Amino acid sequence: MKTATYLGEFEYAVLLAVLQVEDAYAVPVRALLEARTGRPVARGALYTALERLEAKGCLRSRMADPKDERGGKPRRYFTLTAAGLRALQATHGALANLARGLESILEKP
Amino acid sequence: MTSHRPPHLAERFVAATASDDEWSDSIVGDLREEYAVMIDRHGAWSARTWYWRHALAIGLRAITVRGKRRPAGGGWVSGADPSPRSGWWAGLGRDCRYAVRSVVRRAGTSAVIVVTLALALASNSTSLAIVDALVLRPFRFEGLERMLVVVSSDPQQFPLDRSSVAPADFRDWRRDARTVQWLSAAEWWDANLSGIENPEQVAGYRVTADFFTAIASPMTLGRSFTADEEVPGSHRRAVLGHALWQRLYASDPTVVGRTIRLDGEPYEVVGVAAPGFSLPDGAAIWAPLAKSVEGWNERKRADLTVVGRLADGATLADVRAELRALADRQREAYPETNRARLNGVLDFTTGMSDASAGPFVATIQAASLLLLSIACANIANLLLAVGAERAQEFALRLALGAGRGRLALQLLIEASIVSAIAIVVATPLTWGALELSHRSIPPSVVRFVPGMQYMAISPTVFAMTAAFGALATLAFALLPAWHATRPQLADTLRQAGRSTTAPRQRHWLRHVLAAGQVAMTLALLFGTVLMLSAVGRAVDGPVGFDKENLLIGRVVLPQRPYAEPERRRQFMESVLARLQAIPAVTVAAVTSNLPYGGANTGRELFPEGIDVPPADVRAVDYRRVTPAFFDALRIPLVGGRALNEGDASGSRAVAVVSRTLVERYWPDEDPVGRRFKLARDGAWITVVGVVGDVVQDWFQQRRRPTVYRPVAQDPPFAHAFVARTVGDPASLAGDLRRAVRASDPDQPILAVESMEDVVEDRTAGLVFIARSLAVVSAIALTLAIIGLYSLIAFTISRRTQELGVRMALGATRWQVVRLTTGQGCRITVAGLLLGLAGAFALGRLMESTLFGIVSISLWQLAALTAGIASVALLASYLPARRTARVDPMIALRSE
Repeated sequence: MKTATYLGEFEYAVLLAVLQVEDAYAVPVRALLEARTGRPVARGALYTALERLEAKGCLRSRMADPKDERGGKPRRYFTLTAAGLRALQATHGALANLARGLESILEKP
Repeated sequence: MTSHRPPHLAERFVAATASDDEWSDSIVGDLREEYAVMIDRHGAWSARTWYWRHALAIGLRAITVRGKRRPAGGGWVSGADPSPRSGWWAGLGRDCRYAVRSVVRRAGTSAVIVVTLALALASNSTSLAIVDALVLRPFRFEGLERMLVVVSSDPQQFPLDRSSVAPADFRDWRRDARTVQWLSAAEWWDANLSGIENPEQVAGYRVTADFFTAIASPMTLGRSFTADEEVPGSHRRAVLGHALWQRLYASDPTVVGRTIRLDGEPYEVVGVAAPGFSLPDGAAIWAPLAKSVEGWNERKRADLTVVGRLADGATLADVRAELRALADRQREAYPETNRARLNGVLDFTTGMSDASAGPFVATIQAASLLLLSIACANIANLLLAVGAERAQEFALRLALGAGRGRLALQLLIEASIVSAIAIVVATPLTWGALELSHRSIPPSVVRFVPGMQYMAISPTVFAMTAAFGALATLAFALLPAWHATRPQLADTLRQAGRSTTAPRQRHWLRHVLAAGQVAMTLALLFGTVLMLSAVGRAVDGPVGFDKENLLIGRVVLPQRPYAEPERRRQFMESVLARLQAIPAVTVAAVTSNLPYGGANTGRELFPEGIDVPPADVRAVDYRRVTPAFFDALRIPLVGGRALNEGDASGSRAVAVVSRTLVERYWPDEDPVGRRFKLARDGAWITVVGVVGDVVQDWFQQRRRPTVYRPVAQDPPFAHAFVARTVGDPASLAGDLRRAVRASDPDQPILAVESMEDVVEDRTAGLVFIARSLAVVSAIALTLAIIGLYSLIAFTISRRTQELGVRMALGATRWQVVRLTTGQGCRITVAGLLLGLAGAFALGRLMESTLFGIVSISLWQLAALTAGIASVALLASYLPARRTARVDPMIALRSE
């Protein structure tokens, strides 16, 4: 394996959310995380996670769309990199392996 | 809608904390976007609050995270092990951050540890501050290390008798000694200062001319004394203490050259001492020590305090050698007076500090150290429990490759963080305790305890507290850290949270710690109870007289105007007559020595018809009283008659004696009519009556044989008026003062107080120690009980499933309670057995070091043991009962 690929729980969640959201920038990513996990997500935590994931090479970002409702400030859009996808797959696979055979317990009725 | 701008300052904060401009723009933009939505939904005010809250949260997180970011290019590795490229230091930084988070996460546990440790540390730093002020550094002035004290008593003796040098011995040393400079002497002299609004007695010393030079104390005003003022006739010069000068003369600089009246004679003020200078013994006024040639030839009476300064190049050992040689020579030349005279040279602090402070302060310090040990045991147990809970976390990190030392180090860092907080919390606690200490010690005691003014939080004390904190941290954290990080990976991981009891060895350690706490608590409590009962005896115990409703006024008549005994007698009669005239006074009397008064006068007693060999001659307490004295103090007459007005100066010499004296010399005989002498060549004195015993002082609980003689037959200079009053004696203080002033306007009255105050003053130090000990012990007991309770509760909570199985299989509640309480019982019994041994040893130590005021009581020990046992059993029964009540099915399912 080229890189150590173990994602923290939150990083794992953030990468999944970035994949889910079209035109992923912080606001909708956070909204999705809260909606799907049912847990509050601190903005600060999200920003640091995004920054960290970008620094690790799991995410790539571009600045675009300075908008009026944003007081002329651009949005920062994120997309998954190949390394990010590998990390996501590895983590997901590891968890899935661990969970195999426990479906009866893990799946809620 | 877009016109609504978010709070400018908050936005600036977010922008400034972002890691670069792009991030700053995008985050600010995101927030503006959401802010606009918030305004639409909730209004401007809510939106602003919302914005502030989130801006601060984002910014603060960015700041805290900033420090954690790994250097660019560094691989990203999960927290267990430093990556190869980041050095050990970087790893340490990460450990610290992790430790902070861990401490914050377990806020409850951390708070308990902080409070426990802070209490113990505050107790220690308080007693350290007292030790530092009273024992280690009671004197603080320049050149202190070259100062010394010379005594003619045994320097090893306790308490040291520093006023023990004969004038002629001193004169010889001053003339001959080469290794010591400015050898100078001081003689106790409490001067009556009059010519001011209220004449008063001032603590004073007569000193040789070099005294101020020796101590290198500069004068605030004027000069110190010169050699030619050491001659009688030109000796009427005085140096005022700085505080006295401020108080009585309003810091008037023209006071130098003015004449003041001391002991009824005019003295010229030549100087004012430096602020704070009050040597020896809280002196507030000084005059030259002037002696005639005969006076300087005196070898028999030895009551000078001698201080000096090391000559250049000389050491304390040189002075010792030289003075020993000089003393040997004196011993040969004057065997009669000097044969048994010892010679000691001490450093200034040892020689001048209050000797009795040592053992008392040591008692508090020892108790505080015990408390700290108990606190450490408590915290260690808590950490072991936490460690058991965190076993999974550690096992995982070990499995991922973290070194064991690394994990232990991280636990140590966590402990250090908590300790640091505890040290900070302990500081205000210490301040409060010292403030209370200052208030609880009366000024009359302070005078004789040098260094009291230094009782405060100094950098030294803080540093020592920190050192204690660090030591404590090592003590309570090392063992749990070692245990928690023991690599039993497979076991712990396999357990996967399904826990029963902890591994046996860990169990064992925690039990030892809990038992140790019980043991130390028992010892500490016993020591406290011993102290408290000693104090109880001293303050409230039977003293042989009725101390309530007694007004006391102490007077010291000056030597010269009252040289004639008849004048002293007239003064006393005049004051007594005025006192008797006060309606609220039922009886008024005079005594030379007040019980609990501090001063004692002894005489050797030679009974008629009994041949006492010189070695067996015993001293008895010698008191001179007016006939009404026994009435005033309500000392019962046991046999014969009391003194009466007929026992005047010209009539037969008579005495009333105490019961103990009779038991010693005339057991089973009628003592009335027996005669004795108070010196081998003295006159015969006839016993006319016997009275009950009186306790003279708290540290001499034994009833001492006492002789009471009529005041008229030997009027003393220093005496006390005693008036039994109807109602509060304090309300008559003014009348007593007026009575004295009317009899002699120059005569100050040293102190007017109630007899209860006198007793309180004398026992203040003891009460202070006892109260401090009580506080320390109460904290210790609480900690120990909480420790035991939480240990049992924790152990049981880990065994809930097991207990559920047992109950499901048919165990009764009682059996479950017995099973779990039994463990607490074993710990308690082991602790108590250990504690009994400790308590007994401590009691013995206190008996031997605290002037014999303490005596071991086995009843108290038994009662304490039973008390602690029942509280401890309760502490282990409660959690057991709670578990036993739980439905077995719930217990089985619990985790």
